[in-house]
Formats: sequence, C-alpha cells, structure tokens
Amino acid sequence: MNLTFPHRQTWLHRVNPAHKLMVSALLFVLVLFTHNLNVMILLTAAALLPLLFTGHPPLRLLLYASPFLLLFVSSASGMMMFGTGDTVWFRYGLIRISEESFYRGLHLGFRSLQVAAVGLTFALTTRPVALFYSLMQQLRLPARYAYSFLAAFNMLPLLAGEFLILRQSLQIRGRRPRGLKGYYERLRMYAIPLLAQCIRRAHRTAAAMEAKRFGSGSGVRTYYYRYSFTGADVWYAGYIVLSSVLAWQLGQIGPFTSAIDVR
Amino acid sequence: MSMSTASKRSKGLTLTDILVTIVISVVFGLIYKIWGPMYDLLKPLGLHAEQLSYGMWFMAGTFAFLLIRKPGAAILAEVSAAAIEAFLGGSWGISTLWYGLFQGLGAELFFALFLYRKAGPVVAVLASLGSATASIFIDRHYGYIDQLAFWNYALFISMRLLGSLVIAGLFAWALARALERTGVVNLLRPASAKDYDALGN
Repeated sequence: MNLTFPHRQTWLHRVNPAHKLMVSALLFVLVLFTHNLNVMILLTAAALLPLLFTGHPPLRLLLYASPFLLLFVSSASGMMMFGTGDTVWFRYGLIRISEESFYRGLHLGFRSLQVAAVGLTFALTTRPVALFYSLMQQLRLPARYAYSFLAAFNMLPLLAGEFLILRQSLQIRGRRPRGLKGYYERLRMYAIPLLAQCIRRAHRTAAAMEAKRFGSGSGVRTYYYRYSFTGADVWYAGYIVLSSVLAWQLGQIGPFTSAIDVR
Repeated sequence: MSMSTASKRSKGLTLTDILVTIVISVVFGLIYKIWGPMYDLLKPLGLHAEQLSYGMWFMAGTFAFLLIRKPGAAILAEVSAAAIEAFLGGSWGISTLWYGLFQGLGAELFFALFLYRKAGPVVAVLASLGSATASIFIDRHYGYIDQLAFWNYALFISMRLLGSLVIAGLFAWALARALERTGVVNLLRPASAKDYDALGN
C-alpha cells in the first residue's frame, strides 16, 4: 500500500503496476532456484538498492526496514543450530552448528532479506488503485474482482470505527473477562459482531454495485485512469534482468565465501 | 415455490460472493500482517513453537468457504488475504501471493473432493491440512526444511499440521457456526429447495 506519508514520486512509481507485480513475483521463483550463497548475497544487494529510489527519506526507510534484522536472525538461526552437516564447529546439547548448516542458515537469512526488500519496494511505490486499474487493463482481471478489492479497501476505516465503538460499548458494560478462557471470550465478543457487520455491509455494497452493472462481464468498459508501458518500464526491466544476470555470473566466481551449493 | 427459490442461487461466484469474500479477506489480511512479527519473535528459538501459530495463515480460505460454500471461494479468499498482507508491507513481500495461491489450492482440493457439499468440522480440518501440506511443499524449496536434523524436521511438520488443524480447521469452523447463528449468513445462502422439501409440503 502506498503509505500516506508524504514522499517524492520517483521513476519507480511510474513503472506499470501490473508489470512490477509480475516481475516481483518472478523474482521469488528465481530466489527459489538460487542455491549458491554468493549469488544470493548479490541478489539481495540488488534488491536492497532500489529502496533508495522509492522517494522516502532515509530515516523513514530505516524505520520500515527495522523488522528486517529480526527477520534475518529468525530465518537464519533455526537452520544454523539444527541443520544437518558434517564439519561440526560447535555442539551444545541439541544445538549442533556445522559449516554446512551455518552457510545454509546465512543463505536463508539473505533469502528472506531479498524477499522483504522486493516486497517493501513494491508496497512503497504502488497505489492499490493504480494496481487494480492496471491489472484490469494489462492482465484482463475481471472488473468485479478489481472493484471489489477497491470497495473492500474503502471499508477499512469504517471497520476501524466499528471496532472502536464495540470496544467502548463493551467497556461501558464493564465486560472485561480475564484468563485464558476470558481471552477466548473476548475474541468471540469482538470477532462475531465485526464479521457479521462486514458481511452485511459487503452485501449492501454488492447490491449497489450490481445495480450499476459492475457484476456483468459484458460490454466494453471505459476507465478513468489509463495505464500503459513507458520508459520507466524499460529501465525497471533492464535493471532487474541486468542485476540478476550479473549476480548469477559473479556469484560463480565467488567474491564472498567458498560455499557454492548450500543444499 | 421451491423451484423458483432454488434456481435463483447461482453456481458460480456472484458479485456478492466475491465482495463478501474479499471483505472478509481484508480482515484476515490485517491479522496476517500482525501475525508476522509475532511469529518471527518465536522463531529464533528453533524449537518450532511458532509453527503452532502458522495455521492462522490458512484461516481465510477455510473460513470463507464455510460461509460461501461455492467453488473458488477458498482460493479467492486465501489469495486476497495474502495480497492485502503484501500491500501492508508484510515481511514476506510478494512471495505471500505464491503461498496464498498454493494454500488456497490445497484447501480447495478437499472441498472439491466432497463436491462442495460438505461444510462440517471434518472437511474443514482436512482442508486446513491441505493448506498446510501445500505450504510445506513451498517451504521445502524455500527453507530447505528437509535439511534440518530429523527430530527437528519431524517436530516442524507435526507442529505446523497440529496448528493448522486447530486454527484453520476447528476454530474456523466454530467461528463460521457462531456467525451462522447471528443469521447474517442467510444473506449469502438463501433457503434452498432442499430446505423447503424438509418442511414436508
């Protein structure tokens, strides 16, 4: 989601949203088939670099990226401590760190960094409205799906409002169940009315949309926003292809480690 | 009377079904996003306690089907919730779309196996296990989980299956049933010919 803080529009914003989504999704497949730690580190660097061109100030970017550290540790540590491997470096009880498991853990850490960076770049430079209009125009997503998403987005603030009302009304009645059973009770008291209200609201909105012929797939639609491919798309595709090929080639020579295949 | 009421119910997903599914998925997408940091905090222990909570990420699919009970509802819900999570800047980025697609397929498979006619606790649990299996399939390639020490690998899989069985299976079913009691589901599933026949006239 294009978070509503003010920021500059950059060339990354002008890349066609459907194009950006497809490329980002394919990058995950590329990562899935990358088993060389050197390549993985280079790919991660290539994914982190575009974050600097999202038009957000560096301090805010650091804030957004703060969960990355936890992500890296959490992805790496399990495999490092409990992975299989022959060259044992350290052993303590169940923990058994070997050379192989250490590098495999590192690989997983960089993998999750890469995935998170690609996702954050996408989220910071894409407006939902733009994405769904572009999906309808470039990838022929049926209008009833696209507009349903946009309608659902607009219900989020209403939902938040309803949550507050619910909380206040429960407070005023002094309902504050405690303990594990109370936790479940509280979950029930919030979840059921909120979901029921969601369904009612969605049903009413759908009726209104149906009346305006959003439901029928027939006929030619016109669009308020038009999206096509521009020079920014060429730059974006060029960067992704070039950086991936470069990472793949350089990684074979191995600038960082001796671990070639972490499997 | 019974025929006219029954014929109104379309077999495919109508605009109402789609919108309701997506709105529910938006709610779950928010939960999916909040769930991420919590999962990450538990994970470094390496003992897979976090896998018990993994089932939450399968819940949109099973829950949406139990309400809508039509082909495609589970996949749509799971992909939509994953998309919302990605939009909100979830730590797994766009990869959640792949997970969502496979997990939705895993659940859908079991609903299809019962010709979309069953919506009890058994089929909900089976569908949740289908989602879990699909997610384990991707994780085998993404996380090299099969290269964990055997006891750790077995722990991982059993924790994830157990967590999804409880959260995405039983809990989703209980929640859907509680919602049915509010009467709001009648908006989505009006009385069918079978209901009228059951009245005996």
